[in-house]
This record gives sequence, C-alpha cells and structure tokens, in this order.
Amino acid sequence: MKYQELEKSKEYKYGFVTDIESIKAPKGLNENVIKFISKIKKEPKWMLDWRLKAFNRLKNVKEPNWQKPKYPKINYQDLYYYSAPKSAQDKPKSLDEVDPKLIETYKKLGIPLNEQEKLAGVAVDAVFDSVSVATTFKDKLTEKGIIFCPISEAIQKHPDLVKKYLGSVIPITDHYFATLNSAVFTDGSFVYIPEGVRCPMELSTYFRINSSETGQFERTLIIADKGSYVSYLEGCTAPMRDENQLHAANVELIALDDAEIKYSTVQNWYPGDEEGKGGIYNFVTKRGACRGKNSKISWTQVETGSAITWKYPSCILQGDNSVGEFYSIAITNNHQKADTGTKMIHLGKNTKSKIISKGISAGNADNTYRGLVDISKRALNSRNFTQCDSLLMGNKCGAHTVPYIKNKNASSIVEHEATTSKINEDQLYYCNQRGLNQEEAVGLIVNGFCKEVLQQLPMEFAVEAQKLVGISLEGSVG
Amino acid sequence: MLEIKNLQASINNKTILKGLNLTIKPGELHAIMGPNGSGKSTLANVLSGKSGYEISGDVNYEGKSLKKVSVEERAQRGIFLAFQYPLEIPGVNTNNFLKTSLNSIRKSKGKKELDTLTFLKLVKEKASELGINEKILSRQLNVGFSGGEKKKNEILQMKILDPNLSILDETDSGLDIDALKTIASGVNSSRDSKKSFLVITHYQRLLEYIKPDFVHVLSNGKIIKTGCGELAEELEKTGYQKLN
Amino acid sequence: MMQNLEINFKQIDKIKKITKEEKNFRIKNLESFKASGFPNKRQEDWKFTDFKSIVDSNFKELDAQRVSSNINKIDLLKNFEHNYVLLVNGNLHSSNFDYEEKSKIRINNYDKSIDYEISKNPLICLNHALAENGYSLEIDKNYKFKKVLVIYNLFTKDIKNKILNNKNKIKINENSELHVIEYTINESKSKFINNVYENIILEKNSKFKNLFMQNNKSDGFFHKFIKNKLSLNADISNLIFSSGLKFNKIDIECDLVEENSKCNILSALFLKKNEHQEIKTLVNHLAPNCKSNQKIKKVLSSGSKGVYQGKIYVKDIAQKTDAYQLSKALLLDDNAEFNSKPELEIYADDVKCSHGSSSGNIDQDSLYYLMTRGLSRKDSSKLLIKGFLNEVIEFIKNPSIKKFIETNLEYQINEY
Repeated sequence: MKYQELEKSKEYKYGFVTDIESIKAPKGLNENVIKFISKIKKEPKWMLDWRLKAFNRLKNVKEPNWQKPKYPKINYQDLYYYSAPKSAQDKPKSLDEVDPKLIETYKKLGIPLNEQEKLAGVAVDAVFDSVSVATTFKDKLTEKGIIFCPISEAIQKHPDLVKKYLGSVIPITDHYFATLNSAVFTDGSFVYIPEGVRCPMELSTYFRINSSETGQFERTLIIADKGSYVSYLEGCTAPMRDENQLHAANVELIALDDAEIKYSTVQNWYPGDEEGKGGIYNFVTKRGACRGKNSKISWTQVETGSAITWKYPSCILQGDNSVGEFYSIAITNNHQKADTGTKMIHLGKNTKSKIISKGISAGNADNTYRGLVDISKRALNSRNFTQCDSLLMGNKCGAHTVPYIKNKNASSIVEHEATTSKINEDQLYYCNQRGLNQEEAVGLIVNGFCKEVLQQLPMEFAVEAQKLVGISLEGSVG
Repeated sequence: MLEIKNLQASINNKTILKGLNLTIKPGELHAIMGPNGSGKSTLANVLSGKSGYEISGDVNYEGKSLKKVSVEERAQRGIFLAFQYPLEIPGVNTNNFLKTSLNSIRKSKGKKELDTLTFLKLVKEKASELGINEKILSRQLNVGFSGGEKKKNEILQMKILDPNLSILDETDSGLDIDALKTIASGVNSSRDSKKSFLVITHYQRLLEYIKPDFVHVLSNGKIIKTGCGELAEELEKTGYQKLN
Repeated sequence: MMQNLEINFKQIDKIKKITKEEKNFRIKNLESFKASGFPNKRQEDWKFTDFKSIVDSNFKELDAQRVSSNINKIDLLKNFEHNYVLLVNGNLHSSNFDYEEKSKIRINNYDKSIDYEISKNPLICLNHALAENGYSLEIDKNYKFKKVLVIYNLFTKDIKNKILNNKNKIKINENSELHVIEYTINESKSKFINNVYENIILEKNSKFKNLFMQNNKSDGFFHKFIKNKLSLNADISNLIFSSGLKFNKIDIECDLVEENSKCNILSALFLKKNEHQEIKTLVNHLAPNCKSNQKIKKVLSSGSKGVYQGKIYVKDIAQKTDAYQLSKALLLDDNAEFNSKPELEIYADDVKCSHGSSSGNIDQDSLYYLMTRGLSRKDSSKLLIKGFLNEVIEFIKNPSIKKFIETNLEYQINEY
C-alpha cells in the first residue's frame, strides 16, 4: 500500500474492498434489468408487476431539486442495479456455508455474525451490496413467532404480509428516489412481530456497498402487530472510491394498536476525501405509520458519513394517543453536506411528537435541519416539542435551520426552539488545563452537546456512536 | 361557613380524596397537616372549583352547595385560595390585575367599583401593613418575583380582596423566617368573628405564628385525627408515621 | 375565477416623461410578472399564502389604471402633536412639517430610479413595471425630528377592483432621526389591492422608527415589500400593529451592511374572522457586531390565519452577530391557523443566534389562577390576551403614542 493510501485508510477505517467474485445485472435502468432482478429473486408475478408499475411511473417524475445540497447529475443508465457475491447465489443454508471472505469482511466491520460468539445478543441480517447474506439467531426468534429474514425471502414465504404492508407507508407514487427504489430494490430486511410479543433482543442489519459503480437499493419493512415491541438497529459502511455511489433505500415501519418500534441508525458511509472527491449519496426515504391507537415510533440517527445525506425519517401519527420521536445527530466535516430532519404529521387526537436535532458542522461542510410539524384540524389536544441545536467549527462551514410549523387547532401546543453556537472557549481551556489535547477536548464537548440523542441509542450502538462522533471531527480544530 | 361531607375526588382515574369530612364555622381557623401525597393540595383545588376532578359528596359554603359553581363565582362569593405555586403571568401588570379582580368581586356583591386613585390608596395601605415594597406591584404579575415575594403577593391579594374563607395552600413552604412572619401577621390581622381560614401545611413551623382552633391530620385522602393546637406540636416530635 | 385582469404594455406607453431606459426597465418587469402571474403556494416565499387563489376567489375583475386623488378634507389625529404627509390612493397629496426646520426636509413625488434587479417576487415586478406614484422623503444630516411624522394613507370611496402600485423612499442622512407612524384610513367599502415597494436607507448613526396601523377594518388587500439598508451604527425599528385588515402581507428585508447596526422587528396583532396576515422577514447580517431582534405575537380568533416566515442570514465575516427571533401565537378557536417557518442560515461561528416559535391555546393554569380571583372566564382570557400582546407594546417609549396604540388594541380585544 502506498503511503497516501495508508493515510487515507486511517481516516476511514472501513474503506477496504473485499475481493469477491460477484454476479451483476447489466448496467442501466430498463424493464429487462427489473425483470432480471425479479427473476433472480424468484419473485411471484405480483411483485414484478408492482415493480414495473413503479418503473412506469418513474418515467414521468423528476428528481427533486429543492434540497440544499446540489449534486452533479446522476447517470442512471451507467449504474449496476444488481450485484451479488457469487457464492451467495445458491443461498447458504447456514453460516458455515458463507464465503469465508465475507465472514472476514464482517469481522473487520466488527459485526457479530458468528452465532457462537453471541456477542451482544443482537440478531443480525447482513446485506452485502444488494443481497442479504446471513441472518443470525433465527431459531430463537422463530420460537416467539417473530419473522426476521431478508425481504426477498418474505416475498416468497409471507406474501400476504408483504402484499398488505409493502408500499402502504411509502407508496410507489412517492418522490423520485422512493419510486426508483420500488422499481429496483434488491434486498433488505423484513420484520414481523406478532401480537403481544416483546422482541427479546435487538434486531440489526448491517449494510455494506462493496462493488464499484453499484447503486444500493435496499428495502426494509417492519410491522409491529398489536401490543408488540421491537428495537431495530441499522449500520452501514462502504469502501473508499473516487466515484460517487448512490444509496437510495426505503424503510417502512408500521405500528398497530399499542405497539412500539424503536429504529436506530448509525450511518457511516464513506464521506469522500478531504477535497470532497468520492463518497456516497445517501438519499434515503424512511417513514413510519403509527396506525394504531397508543402506538409509538421512535427514530434515532447518528449521521456521520456520506458525501451527501438527504433523509427525513418521518412519523404519520394516525392512531389516537400515538407518539412519534426523532433524535438526530448529523456531523459534517470537510466537504460533506447533510440535509436531514423529520416530518411529524399529526392526524389522531392526543398525539405527541418530540424532535431533538443536533447538527455539527466543520471544515467546508454544510448542515441543514429541515423539518415539518403539521397539526391537522382534527388532531385535538396534540403536542409537539422541537429543539434544534447547531454547532459551528470555523467560518467556512454553514448551519441552516428550516422548520415548517403548522398548527390548525386551538387545543394543540407546538413549541420550537433553535440555537446556533460554537464550542465554548472556556470549556476547551478547562479541558486542556486538565491535560486533554485539543481533539480529545472537542470530542468530549461535542459528545456532551449530543448527549440527549446518544442516550437514546441501545448500549451496543452507543459506544460505537460516541467514538464516531470524535473520529468524524478529527482535524477540524486548528 | 364550610361543610364538607364524605368528599371524594379523583383525577385521571386515581382517587385522591376518599371520604373527607370537615366543618368550619365563622371565625375559626383550621389547620390541615399531612405528609406529601396525602391529598392536601387536591382539597384546596377542589374547594376552589378547579376543573378536571371527578367529585362526589357534598360541599356546602354559607349554606349552599358549591356543586356546579364556577371558579370565579366561588371567588366572588368570598372563597380565596393562596396558591402553593403562584403562576407567573407575563405582560399582565400586577396592579391592573388586582384592580380588575377587586372590582369584579365588588360588582358581583352589588358594590360600586373603585376608581384608580381609591384603589391605589387601598393597595398602598395594605402593602405597607405587610411590609411589601409597592414597587413590585407595578411589575408583571409574579414575573421575576422571588419565592418569598410571590407568597407575600398572595397574602396581599387576600388582604385586598377581603374574602370570607381563605385557603392557604402550603403558603409557608420554602420561606425564610422573616417572610413567614409577614405572612402570619397578614393572616392574624385579618382574623375576626366572621372570617374563616383553612391553612394547609406540611410543617408545624407556621403554626407557631398562627394559632389554629383545630388541627386535622390528613392521610391517604381522609382526616384521621383531629385535635387542638397541641396536636401540631406532637406531630412535629413524632412524625406522621406513628399515626398510621 | 378572475378572468379580466387587464394589464397590458400600453399602460407603460401612457406614462409621461419616460426615458428609454425606464421604459425598458418597466417592460422587462412586466414581462416577468406576466410570465408567472400572481404568486401561488408553489413558490417557497408564498407557501402559506396562496395569493393567486386569494385573488381568484375575491376578484372577478381587476385593473391597474391610475386613479385620481381628489378629497375634500381629512380628520387629523388629535391624540398627539405631529407632522404629517397625506397620501391619497398612494399619491402624494400634501404635507405639513410645521414642527420642524423645513430646510432640513425634502419631500417629493416618487423616486424614479430604476436601479433594481428583477425580483423573484412577481408582485415586486408588477410594482416596478407600473408604479408611478408614491413619495420620496429625505432628511438632511444632523437633524432629529422634534415630533412624530404621521403618514396618512387614505383610500377613497371610489376605489373598487383596483390594483394600486406605489413606490416610496425614505432616506435618513448621518446622525439624523425620524419616527413615522403610517396610518391607513380606508373609506372604500369595496375590495382592492394595494401593492407597495418601499426603500429605506439609513446612513451612519441614523435612527428610524416605523410604526404601522390603521383606523378601521378594511376590505383592502395589502402587500408591502420594504427594503432596509443600514450603515455604521444605524438603528431601525419596525413596529407592526396592523390588525383589522382582511389581507396583509408585510415583507421586510433588512441588510445590516456595516458594523454595529441594529434592527428590530416587532409585532402585536389580533386577527379576527377570516383575516389573513403574514409577516415575512429576512435579516441579512453582512458585517460584524450587528444586532437583530424580532418578536412577533399574534392572537388568532375565528377562522383567521397568521403566518410568520422569518429568516436570519449570517455571512461568514459577520462574527459577533447577535440575532434573536421569536414568534408566538395564541389560537382562540379550532378554525384559526398559525403557520411559521423560522429559518436560520449561518456561516460564521462566533455568533449568538437563536429562535423560538410556539403556538397554542391560552394557558389553562393561568386562566384558573385569574378565575380564583373572581374574574370571569371571558375577562380572564381578555386579560391574558392583553398581557400576551403587551410585551411588544412596552417597546413604545412615547407615552401618548403608547396610549394610542394600547387603546386601539384594547378596542379590538374587547370586541372579542
């Protein structure tokens, strides 16, 4: 390895490429590619029809252009829409059959794939490029009637559930990237928690983009039936490449009466180099529907990677007394751009939402919080509280706060607060005086700034996230 | 003056008062003591007519039932509640508020409304009696007041509105000895053969300055013991635990 | 649906004494307006105020022809001594500066300069294309006004289905001070649109207070764009008390161009049946050590709609900026609506910027507290509404003007 590369890999420790033979669909976006994907996944006809419907609609929609980060035009005909490790084509029946190189990769990522290790008691579904390669702890979950499997498997084995809920929160008539995903999605996780069941462990998916010129379009569908509970974690990494790679995932959550879904993300896609070359375009659509009364959906995200992040995990609060939460940390350094936030749509009575957003901007980066709180006329006695804080490091970066707030009835209360500040010099001095170097001090103070959000993460993730917060800002203080 | 029979009150499906009986005659001062969570503040709120409670039993004031009588009508008929936590109301001038309040009570009694000058004279007189700096009265209602100032302001309002039944909800909590004395003298100077008081407190301290005719111990939503002034002293020594 | 909006290029031909450049400027702006039409909610700045549909549902026809300005007499305010300028349907009619040194003040017909870029706001384009009346006021160096200046903005009975475009300018030179009350009197019982462009220039160490209000309810539709430009140590306050208008959008853009300049934007409004008022602000912190403060308070009753879109922009060199923004609404019934978009865009790190926005009903605990003191629910509500709006009125230092505003607002609250 050349010296320069060594330096690079220090900055982004997940920047390695795994040398594995892969099967790819021909480049480009057309009906044949969609049919290829559907065929290789052995999908029933209704699924193919659904995809084609989305594809037909896609021809008439334009890419959105209102978001703040602008990006060069993406040539959708120059991308691979399907890439799978060759050895996984005949799906492994157990972990022993998984390509050892893959296992090695996940080890490098620190992901507990090996059930023997039973590291944190986390059930993992690993998605490598476009395919789910392994799911752990299946037996234990099956005992409780929990379904946790690749969505491609769910389409075959649980078509009724998939038919009923897929696209019910993010319809194929949604915006460009969501519709693109509906047409070409390759894999992702499917979770069903039966009535009254509390999922005994954290469920987790790790996404990794390995192949070059490949778009990753995974789709996740989580259904929490009446009175159930699940906590779900998602982590992502990608190798360093000079080109920009597109990641356009869709995540749909459905919570029925008295159910609760907690969805946590630590997003650490390759952010590009110091000059802003390369990195992932992370254009993700995440939406949850609190369909039943007293249901709850809570999003927590730590966004440190990607060249451009553009996502708004949202809650549609349909059921009376339902609760939506959004906790977010977005850190941008160098030339990274993030435009992220949430939508809280209050439709039911006595619905509550809470938004805590912490944006940190360093280098030449740009960080935008964009959010919508919409209290409809019939959402009586509803309540929202929003707190958006931005931290700026240096005067080449930017922080932007764009909340849209609508209150359409008198019995509801909406409160929004936002501040922008820099790291307090006195705090830095104090830390320095106690022997911490500049970077340690910044890491400490920034972690304090983000505390409210970090607290929301499950233990297994919190440690990783705290480290990431420090690493992402390395070199940002002069 | 006040007659409470088998009063039960619950909020959010939780029963707080569980059959409370109490009679207060004109000129009497009753103290209610009890541990935290025994229902003291609920009693004060229910008597003032605060909404949100499910209520059964009888509460008669001056011989008439208070059922379905609104908060402001109770106030107009002479029930005054000194709040445990007086609210801060930004933008509302204290003097202006007091004048509006006094005049709406006077109006309901068929008395003539006071003009600004007479009103200010009255306020000045009462404030100096209590040793309150008038300046705070030109500020916004309770905004930026210290804990002591807020409580003194409650007593000043009591003096000005001149109620028949005054309910003091833990007015003594969090006060230093000087403020406590001010409040006690405010109460003592108001006592006469017609006026009644219900003093709710956690500690015996206040009762060293305000001598009650009766002391009741409230526990778990019921009055479990009634006595004269000595009961309070006894409680101070033994604590509430022994009584249960 | 309105079909008969007759705005054509011939109207520009009718303007007398027009240079070739001015004509080109006007034609370009009219083309731009015609391309987009009245702004609708698809435009970000009009997201909560769909002006096109408001126009469509209120006007069957509209024309932009000039109107005459004949009046007999006007009742001047007697509450306080003041200078005045009288505008009739936007035309400069007369003025009186008897309390001042007249040599220090110049007042003229509208300023003809064409030094404007094509705006994104179609109504500004329309104004640039057609405005040919208004006033231009300039105050000399080192002159502080002794009395307040009331600008009577009178609309006559015969105004109907018109769109009036006016352009005003106020320039305050070094070390000078001016306090204006813009007082709208509407005698027309019909619907019309008034579309104003106002240019305000504050030179070094100058001070300007600009207060908006009107004497009665009005079926007029008002849109006003104000551009403020502040030099070193300049200080501006915009105070908006324009309750009672059926439709009003005030769009204030304030450039803090040089150090230590200050900008205040304050408003207390009580909106009633189906009224729609928007306050939109953009405060550009372009130099270090500037200060801006916005406080917008709205009380919204039956079917009214209040909108606040406020943006603070801080340029990378504008260190030590102190910017604050607060918007609060009290919703008095379920048919009222409050929409807000408090926005921050910041590129300097050593700044103090924050905003808050809240909306909801009257605080029930405060209501209860007042009722235990014998006040009826209605009276308690009124007292709390007054208290809510008072915070803004406290800003007015002159006692007789303050009293005047208070009485006006109280009148509106007591009607509730």
